[in-house]
Amino acid sequence: MAGPPRRLARSPQVGGHEVRDLELRGVHGAGMPASKRRVPVSQPGMTDPHQLFDDTSSAQSRGYGAQRAPGGLGYPTASASPQSAFLGDPVSNMAMAYGSSLAAQGKELVDKNIDRFIPVTKLKYYFAVDTMYVGKKLGLLFFPYLHQDWEVQYQQDTPVAPRFDVNAPDLYIPAMAFITYVLVAGLALGTQDRFSPDLLGLQASSALAWLTLEVLAILLSLYLVTVNTDLTTIDLVAFLGYKYVGMIGGVLMGLLFGKVVYYLVLGWCCVSIFVFMIRTLRLKILAEAAAEGIPVRGARNQLRMYLTMAVAAAQPLLMYWLTFHLVR
Amino acid sequence: MAFTLYSLLQAALLCVNAIAVLHEERFLKNIGWGTDQGIGGFEEEPGIKSQLMNLIRSVRTVMRVPLIIVNSIAIILLLLFG
Repeated sequence: MAGPPRRLARSPQVGGHEVRDLELRGVHGAGMPASKRRVPVSQPGMTDPHQLFDDTSSAQSRGYGAQRAPGGLGYPTASASPQSAFLGDPVSNMAMAYGSSLAAQGKELVDKNIDRFIPVTKLKYYFAVDTMYVGKKLGLLFFPYLHQDWEVQYQQDTPVAPRFDVNAPDLYIPAMAFITYVLVAGLALGTQDRFSPDLLGLQASSALAWLTLEVLAILLSLYLVTVNTDLTTIDLVAFLGYKYVGMIGGVLMGLLFGKVVYYLVLGWCCVSIFVFMIRTLRLKILAEAAAEGIPVRGARNQLRMYLTMAVAAAQPLLMYWLTFHLVR
Repeated sequence: MAFTLYSLLQAALLCVNAIAVLHEERFLKNIGWGTDQGIGGFEEEPGIKSQLMNLIRSVRTVMRVPLIIVNSIAIILLLLFG
């Protein structure tokens, strides 16, 4: 059966483009021309800030187009020659066509319904990162003292994608840091002979529960203080997820060099995260006047300042609480 | 404290139950948190107390029926699985 594997062979893909390419692949089954779903761009080299990911379709479209042109009408005519050799009778062709159209309809239904509960398109914005952004952001998380301008650049009312502005929040670093934290916790427990596989799940669940609790507490206090901010829930999750980077650093250093180094590195990361959160949240929570550096008096601004300080102070506490039992 | 997501769910259920059993006449009115005592003027700044009263009132209105369902499910699960 050399047919199916060859038909499902994938052209080489770079990591960040997989989401879009899967979309294009789904379009294939529905019979729509592929050009409708492609993001319009002038040249492959230029990336305008409107699109989140680089468009490599011009490089891959030749490969796709050759496969798609016969496939546009449906599976019976799209069967490549190796398949038609052993699927000669039209009944199985019809059955395959019917099955594939059912699958395509099901996929469209699922996509439509999922988009109602989880805003997939909004989530894609948070994963539009590149290596330079990740490097700069990690540097900012460990050393935020020299960075001057913390404003997020806007472009026609929507914030610019993270790859173009180092101040924009992203979900890639928090997600990766969370997973790495769970793995490092397993490693730390293993070096102390306390490891068992269900402990990994327990660590992950515990960290996730703390994160959820934090998000709910901050949302509640934002509601009570009636702050009109554009701080969305996903933004908040992103900001609160940045502390995992410091936690990983502390635990790894503690594993390598001992408890004193763990405390030193954790202390450094705690202070850095504290400064980072204050400088980031100040622009989001406090009023515009305070963002320019002028301390505005008044009960409301004072409450907001306390709220920012409380959120920032909770980060070092949680960083210590979630890691101190890992380094003995 | 928050060891697992499940314990967080349990804690949340207990908190919402606690808000739902606050008696309107005997308790909330006596401490001045009744639903008809809070909606004062329409100034620009609601203040924490009125926000809290609003929150309590909306939780009690919205979560009455779902709480019955969720509590029944929790009771059945606890009876079956301990």
